[in-house]
Amino acid sequence: MATTSSSSKRHSILPPAGPKPPVQFSSSITIADSALLTGSHPITISSESVVHPRARLESLGGRITIGRRCIIHERSTVGAVGTSNRTATTDKGVTLGDYVTVEVGAAIEAGDTVVGDGTIVGVGCKVGAGAVVGKHCTLTPHTEIAAGDVVPDFTVVYSNGVRRPDRRGVAELRNKGQTRQIEVLRRMIPSNPAKFQ
Amino acid sequence: MSRRPPRGEYIETDTGNKVARKATLVGTQNIILGGKTVIQPEVMIRGDLIRSVQAQSSSGGAPASNTAVAIGRYCFLSRGCCLRPPGRLYKGAFTYMPLRIGDHVFVGPGSVVQAAFIGNHVHIGSKVAVGESAIIKDYVRILDGSVVPPNMVIPSFSVVAGQPARVIGEVPEGGHEAFELRDLYKTVGNNPQPAPS
Repeated sequence: MATTSSSSKRHSILPPAGPKPPVQFSSSITIADSALLTGSHPITISSESVVHPRARLESLGGRITIGRRCIIHERSTVGAVGTSNRTATTDKGVTLGDYVTVEVGAAIEAGDTVVGDGTIVGVGCKVGAGAVVGKHCTLTPHTEIAAGDVVPDFTVVYSNGVRRPDRRGVAELRNKGQTRQIEVLRRMIPSNPAKFQ
Repeated sequence: MSRRPPRGEYIETDTGNKVARKATLVGTQNIILGGKTVIQPEVMIRGDLIRSVQAQSSSGGAPASNTAVAIGRYCFLSRGCCLRPPGRLYKGAFTYMPLRIGDHVFVGPGSVVQAAFIGNHVHIGSKVAVGESAIIKDYVRILDGSVVPPNMVIPSFSVVAGQPARVIGEVPEGGHEAFELRDLYKTVGNNPQPAPS
């Protein structure tokens, strides 16, 4: 009796799982147990990328490709089905390059959206469907990139959409820092890729 | 068999903390709550991001503390906010630093806090992004929607707003009484009391 009452006391923490998407994981990725993967299109994550707990990868609107050494932080949504009525011309949902950081609570909508290498998508940003963000960009917190918009390489977007070029030339350093951060995160986040396969 | 009392929305601890059952606390062993702190539903605290490089202690032999997030008394973490320790490169290695929060700190709904230190009687509005390793001193008011840049130091009695956040004024004389959170503490929990008018 005691065991049954304690087991009925346990509530499921996670919402009921939708369709399990087909996944293609590299063997060296770190993905937290409580990450959420839903959708019907394939999800590809390349080597040494890290997915934090409670990050959402939704492949309903097309396939999701995540490059090498990316960090997807908690509560962010990659491949959200957008509010804009864009019809995707291809089945590519979201493509993230290498060394991309998606910060806490950011949302990247599906529909041929591309985020280039080394770009940081800041806290609470929104990247609309079909937007193309270049390489080594910095989207500061709460930036919104409209659907279909194009952000050239080495751009900083700040203060509600003001843009300036990034001439600091710190792309290499930043990539090194990202590598170190991933080394630390691999030790801290218990990885469970088998759950999603 | 007697029916057990209905389960409340909050877990109330001996020290008066009220922690919502729907809050996500990761790495709870590294989170310290000072007492009488309210954690509302959907709050996320990343206690698993602990310091990976220990500072060299002059005393020697002192046990290494693994605290990731330390919160004082009478703090109020509103629905949907997220606390996470700041990460940085320290002596060439990446490490997370502990996030210390004083007493009577209000964090508004949907805010993301990655500060290094927050003093006493600080009010953070809704949808604020506090950048990594920011230092916020006592009696600071951060208005809604602000983006506090990384490493910013906000002096005492400042009012801060904007994207990026700037000091736009100071707390008027006698205005510090508005920071008191004792009454707010009583209005939530399993048997909440109405706010005194």
